[in-house]
This record gives sequence, structure tokens and C-alpha cells, in this order.
Amino acid sequence: MQTNEFHGNAVFSGGGFMPSQATQTVPDRPSSSYKSDARCSMPLTVKQLKDLSRVGESGISIDGVDVNNIVLVGMVSKIDNAVSDCTFRVDIYMFFGVAFRPVTDFNEIAKHFIEGIYVHLYNTNLRGGMTTQPEVANSNFGNPTKSYGYQTNLTNQFSGQYNTVEEQIRGVSSKVLQYLRRLACLYVFNASETGVPSDVVVRELNKSLQFLVSEGLVYTTIDDHYKFTDA
Amino acid sequence: MDTSSPAAFVNGGLLRMHVGRKVRTVIQVTRSDAGSVMGKSTDGCQLVVRGSPPAPLTSYVEVIGVAENENSIRAELWTNFGDSFDASNYDQLCQLANGELKHLFL
Repeated sequence: MQTNEFHGNAVFSGGGFMPSQATQTVPDRPSSSYKSDARCSMPLTVKQLKDLSRVGESGISIDGVDVNNIVLVGMVSKIDNAVSDCTFRVDIYMFFGVAFRPVTDFNEIAKHFIEGIYVHLYNTNLRGGMTTQPEVANSNFGNPTKSYGYQTNLTNQFSGQYNTVEEQIRGVSSKVLQYLRRLACLYVFNASETGVPSDVVVRELNKSLQFLVSEGLVYTTIDDHYKFTDA
Repeated sequence: MDTSSPAAFVNGGLLRMHVGRKVRTVIQVTRSDAGSVMGKSTDGCQLVVRGSPPAPLTSYVEVIGVAENENSIRAELWTNFGDSFDASNYDQLCQLANGELKHLFL
């Protein structure tokens, strides 16, 4: 854990890291890893830290993702104040000179672990193939009473022309809305107020397209025109 | 880093899987006596938690301790979780943490 890169505001604006932050544009095979964005943080359990078996270029790699910042939740059991350093022993782990924020809403504890589960599932399913999305119960962080079901094989959902606004809302636009909801989940940790930037939406779509190309489900024709192979 | 004794997230129904081991759970307090607290688990089971609860107790309290049997815990640590808590959310976490995602926790 690189404490000199810990920025309290970034870490505790939500806490979550998704491969969408990666600088790579083409999802590679499991042996490669994404590079993390310093703005993002990955929610982890101590067990995940304990199981680290590979050190990537930037220090640690979890589920194939290089990680710079992490978020842990624990209970402060002892505080020692030195002249220039503060050492905290949190539950069963020891921090040194990192940012702390007290938990005020105890629902955050369950939220942290559920976020960690979501990030883990996303990262590991990404390696398994973009067209199969993880289905996680109660994964709507904005509204716990709703649940997400991620659709597979979005390419066969389009049905051509829509005659009414209602049909359009139910058709393509609903898929776009679903996609935006998913992106919003990924970005809720960093931009819960402002939403997902349009350049990120475009970048994510391009990454998905490039992955589909690498999997042979889509191919390019001329000038970045895409055609799906199972038409 | 001492990770020798992680506490498993449990609800009432999952407690039996961890008898004799360290567990953590949140209960909604229904009765409080000297030396024990009765409460409702996040999945609606009645649990007994023995130990020295804090005073005062809020409606929801997290306990970390050793599971004595399928409906009783010997608590080592008590934390008031306030009077407003999403039990359903926590219950889902317990199920996930004991299912195919157990490897992230234990």
C-alpha cells in the first residue's frame, strides 16, 4: 500500500476501482493487468490483502488489476501518537500515516464489503468475457431495494424502428439507460454528484467494441464501422 | 499482520455453520439483561448474545465473538450500530460472504 499516494478526498469520496479507469484500451488475456487511475481506490478485505501473490509494476495487483490506493474498514483499537507520525492499529491490520475517516453511518460497513464483492466480480468476470456480465443481487448502491440484472448479448436486443416514444424508451434507450446505470455504479465512487462524463461513456463503449473484435463477435469494415458476426 | 482469527459474517441461519468459531453479526435488540442480550438477527431469528453489553444499547448492535451453538454467541466485542440500520442489506452480505465469495473473507 503506497501511503504517499493516499489522498483523503479521493479515497473517501466513495472508494472503488474499476478497470474502466485503465489506460489500456484493449482488454487483454488474464495474464496482463490494467493500470489503475490514481484517483480511484479499491475496496478490499484484509483476506484479499493477505492472499496477494503477485506484485505488479506499481506494487500490488488484485484480480489482475494494479492497485495504487485501497480502502479498508476496521475498528480502531489502539492509537499511539509520536512527534511526527501517527500509528494506528486498526482491528488486525496496521496503518502508517494514512488518511482516516470515522464511520458515522454503520450501513457503510456492509456497503464497503458489498462494494468489494462487486469490484471483485467485475474484475474477474471481465477476464471471462465482456458479453457475460455478473448478476449481483442488491447491487444498486443508490437504492438497496432494487436489484440489477445485467443482460448478456446486447447485440440481439435491437428490433429496428420504433413507432412510439414508449416503444423507443422500452427498446434501445432502455439498453442505453441500463448501460449508463452500470457505468454510474462504477463511477459512483468518484463522481456521485456529477455523474459519468460523456468521454468516459465513449471510452467504455470503444473498449467494449474492441473486446468484441478480439473475441471475434464483431469486426471492423471501413473507417471504424463495426459489424457483428452473428447477424 | 495477524489474520489468525477472522470473524465470519453470519445471520441467524448461518450461525450453525460456525459453531465454536469467531463470528460477527448485527442484531436488533429485543431484550437486555445483565449478562445477556436477546435480539433478532437480520434474517429474523432469535439469538442470545452473552457477555457485557455497553450501556446504553442502541436498537442495533454488532457483536463479535464465538458461536456457542446455533442461536447463541459469546460476545467479546460490542458496537452500537444506532437505531437505524439496513438489516436486509447486511443479511445479503452475510449470504454472499458465506457462499461462493467466502474466499474473500475467510
